[in-house]
Amino acid sequence: MKALLLLHTLLLVSFAELSTLTVDDELVILDGNLSAGNSEDNCVVNDPSFGIKEEEVVEEQEPPPVSGHFNPFQKESLMDYPFEERLVLRPLPRNFLLASFQFNITSDELSIDKGASHFNSYAHNTVFPRSISPILEHTNTRQLHLRFTHGLWDAESWGQLPHNGSKSGGTGVEIWAVLESDSKQAAFAQWISLANSLSGLFCTSINFIGSDKTSYPVFSFQPSGENSLPLFNENSKLYLVRAALANEPICTENLTPFLKLLPTKGKSGVASLLDGHKVFDSHWHSLSIDIETRCDDTSCKYHMEEFVEMVVHVPNALDRAEKPIPKPVEEHELRCDESKPHDVFECFPLPESTDREFELSKLFGRYILGTNLVSRSPSRVCAEVGPNWSALVKVGNTYFSTDDNCFEIKGDELHDLYLQTSDTAQVASSEDVPIYVSRSLTGYGQDGGGLRTVFKNPSNETVSLVYFESLPWFMRLYLSSLKIESEDGLQLDDVITNTFYLPAIDRQRPTHLEYNLKVPPNSTFALSYQFDKALLKYAEYPPDANHGFDIESAVVTVLSPLKYEMRTATLLLSLSTPDFSMPYNVIILTSTIMGLAFGTIFNLMVKKLVTVEEADKSNGSVGSRIIFKFRERIKAIFKKKVPLFDESKKNQ
Amino acid sequence: MSTLGLRKAVAIWFFAVYVFVGVPLWYKLTTIYRAPLPIEHIRSMHENPHTDLHLVIPVYVRSDTYNFPDVHDAIQVQVNELLKSKKGPLTWSLQVLPFESWVNEESDYVVTLALDNFIGYTIPYDSKETIVFFNDESVVANDIPFFVAQTLIEHTFGLEWQHFSESKDVIKETNNNMAISYTPNVHLSISLLTGDGRPVAWDIVPTLEEYFTPLRRFISPLVNFTVDTGIVYYNDLKLGSLSGSDTASWQDLSHTVDLSELSSMNYYSERTVLNLAIVFPGHSAGNLSFINSTSKHDWQSFLVPQWGVLVINKSPLPDSTRLTKDYLTPIIYKFSRELFQLLGLATQAADLSTPYVTIDSFKRLMIIRNLDESTETLWSLVKLVEQFPQMAVPEEVLVNVRKALDLRLQVAELINDPFKGGDAVWNQALLLSNELFRVCEDAFFHKEMVQQNFFPQEHKIAVYLPLLGPLTVIMLSGLVNAFKRKQKEESSAEKDQDVKE
Repeated sequence: MKALLLLHTLLLVSFAELSTLTVDDELVILDGNLSAGNSEDNCVVNDPSFGIKEEEVVEEQEPPPVSGHFNPFQKESLMDYPFEERLVLRPLPRNFLLASFQFNITSDELSIDKGASHFNSYAHNTVFPRSISPILEHTNTRQLHLRFTHGLWDAESWGQLPHNGSKSGGTGVEIWAVLESDSKQAAFAQWISLANSLSGLFCTSINFIGSDKTSYPVFSFQPSGENSLPLFNENSKLYLVRAALANEPICTENLTPFLKLLPTKGKSGVASLLDGHKVFDSHWHSLSIDIETRCDDTSCKYHMEEFVEMVVHVPNALDRAEKPIPKPVEEHELRCDESKPHDVFECFPLPESTDREFELSKLFGRYILGTNLVSRSPSRVCAEVGPNWSALVKVGNTYFSTDDNCFEIKGDELHDLYLQTSDTAQVASSEDVPIYVSRSLTGYGQDGGGLRTVFKNPSNETVSLVYFESLPWFMRLYLSSLKIESEDGLQLDDVITNTFYLPAIDRQRPTHLEYNLKVPPNSTFALSYQFDKALLKYAEYPPDANHGFDIESAVVTVLSPLKYEMRTATLLLSLSTPDFSMPYNVIILTSTIMGLAFGTIFNLMVKKLVTVEEADKSNGSVGSRIIFKFRERIKAIFKKKVPLFDESKKNQ
Repeated sequence: MSTLGLRKAVAIWFFAVYVFVGVPLWYKLTTIYRAPLPIEHIRSMHENPHTDLHLVIPVYVRSDTYNFPDVHDAIQVQVNELLKSKKGPLTWSLQVLPFESWVNEESDYVVTLALDNFIGYTIPYDSKETIVFFNDESVVANDIPFFVAQTLIEHTFGLEWQHFSESKDVIKETNNNMAISYTPNVHLSISLLTGDGRPVAWDIVPTLEEYFTPLRRFISPLVNFTVDTGIVYYNDLKLGSLSGSDTASWQDLSHTVDLSELSSMNYYSERTVLNLAIVFPGHSAGNLSFINSTSKHDWQSFLVPQWGVLVINKSPLPDSTRLTKDYLTPIIYKFSRELFQLLGLATQAADLSTPYVTIDSFKRLMIIRNLDESTETLWSLVKLVEQFPQMAVPEEVLVNVRKALDLRLQVAELINDPFKGGDAVWNQALLLSNELFRVCEDAFFHKEMVQQNFFPQEHKIAVYLPLLGPLTVIMLSGLVNAFKRKQKEESSAEKDQDVKE
């Protein structure tokens, strides 16, 4: 029968029950003539002339077609995701301890081809942070490097920075990225968009990056990894963009988003040790993120390395943990030099004890809350210690040790690490830094100054390096004033092999300076140049204008004899600061002078000019007029007498 | 000789230059720029919102069995009568035309008259065709035009009939609390949350490709979805705290559920995000006994207004579990259905049975709503500008307003044309109206407008008073003196003469 009338009232009820009916299942209904009826109370028309009664209910087939037995959950023996984490502890000389938390995450395959299968493009994330990929995709970012660093790395005592310095930035925030774009202008727009997005994600002021802080490095920051720089569009190019904010304070609000990026959310695995109070209470700390797009023949994936590193002074940290409120040391705890007179009131303190034992939970205030469960391999804790140290892992109340001092965290029990030594000065040897570089401001006064950078090569090999400097536009650099000071008689041409210099444009571009340098063995020299300080506009001064302006660190990339990266300390440049009430004073003063001048001229033109006599004559009162008349009389008498005298003289 | 006349003239000139040149110049140079907005035009648009709109939809009539040469005219008369019977917020009509060979059945509305032994109609779910069945008696009684008109108005164009003719206000009627405000691009975020860190996997890829892609394709003229999925560990939306309670009500749940982490995802480029969250409680929290599980599935779903769908599972996941397609498919189905509610396409989960027709009607509804909302936005802009006479109105606002008025004209031309009515036209009109909406928002939310609004007017006085104060005083007193002097000098001249005598 052709009657295809559908009876909705009944069906609506059944629709509501069958939680499965929707548009797309209707698209697979086999009988094409079958109608599903219209929305409301249609079909049964109120008009009786339609005269159709509810005759037939066409049964809807019930989707979804469930085939076979219904099995919602499937047990899998091994489930691992591309996530790895480990904690490396390395004691440093003078009772310092370097703790390095390392996390590696790889994303699911990216859907690059957005053409034909547009409706089939889904972005799937498992362990890779979901917040990062949309940002990278939307700004066409192929590599992203983000550094939050604060504190002083004592290179002379502690040796090389961890990971050859490749994971730590200059003080403040540093960010660089490789962007795919058609033009430099478009790349800059993407860069700004990236900066704004990251600023929100990491609670920082990265959004203050504009064209006046952005540079495009030429020799430095060269991206590594051959297949980590894919071009998704053959017509576009890759741009390397970099900026740094030296005055950015790094604090807990930056660590929290770092932890949220991890699948464990800091609730299990080594990340459970991380607590903002302890991390930022350290002498030096660095948070870093490096994301690369790695492609093989068929697919691309994001690869992310996240590092949280810090150097803590162990005795101080333990004291803090024991006595949150500092109190004087008890008498029996005093360590006095016994060769000198000592009693309750007099004590010459001994140097710090070299005998030390501590547990990680004391340093961090927390335990490791079991391993992370999602990972391919369990969480690891490694202690890189010297031979006279002993490192034990504590699970429950039992201690375990291993040959290589690396421990795997298993299960969800609380783990702790116990370190003990009789001589804290004996630490695993760290390699020496290939070069020391320090930079300082010279000169005085508010109109100019100088920059002086000292390079010291303590080794027996020539060190070749790239020196990168990005200076704000208000430091007007004179490259012609570049001088070298050297006791060994080195000339500029001897050390500088290549220079890249892009002068600043006011308010639009920073000075961008890169040198290829060759530092001869066992030599020290200083490069210096002069600059003028520009005057800023009234509104360009920050609220704390008298504090000065932070100048970001210079970046030193050592190319040979080994790959190493380091930053100089930041500088504090004081610019002449105006008296901010000045404009109003100027207005008042100028107005007064103008008013005065105008008044004078106006009065000259409008008022009548008279001689004193006329004024006296016309202006006097009755009394003065009488005096005036009296005076006139006397004058008249004198006038009469004078000729008399003359005549008498004549006569004489 | 007395120079009094000259001096008076000088004083008057000074004063005249001050008043007629200086003050206007000062005023001109220190006032903020206020672009001249077409205020009267917008006011009239606001007062009579739909005078320039007359939505016309062409419908083509064909007959398979009999030849009715002028049935379309007869239907047109009936349609007009029916539409006249109710006066809604918007005038709209159908242009009934005879079927021609060039008419595209897929994109145009076609009414097919089919002979049968009873009277009725059907609207197939997969096309825009309306089939009206008639019998010989109805031909004799000449009922066909009326049947067709009624079918078209009340069923094929039911949504229009409901919103344009029966309701009072298009905007208010189409807004409901559940639905998000309409935007052409919507992001869908599908998350699997577990309360602990045990690894889970899900067959979301094949499930979505099989069951969600068709929906995306189908709805793409109206809404473009971008979709991402993710697994979130250590987050059970704080449902663990309800695990002990057997009788947690919806209110308890809505007070407990913490959607902050899922809602604060502002890194998508789309403005609107809808969510599907599948939540498993952690092992430490245990079963959520308040969930009414059925024999079919162990979960219950909740619709969160303007946010998305929350699927809460009764019991924690076993170790190392993969959620299969069998588990995910019903959830995706349910979500798809509720998606229409969240988008405002349907008020009840099941009333989308003739999707092609409904989607088309919805497009028209959205066009009108965009037009209305943009008129409202422009009117708010006018009110704002009029209320704050000291507020700057930058040139860009004017440019945007002009562009908006232009776009509105274009949309009106498209929808008013009785011979244009294919899919392409409605899509084009919808795109233009979306653009119109955006342009109006841009005009209203121009940052310089409100930013400068609170620039204190006293500043101007404070800055200029040190200059203008002394000048004014000197000049006025000079003028007054010059006129006073006249009498004085005359009288003193007389006295002088007296003295001389």
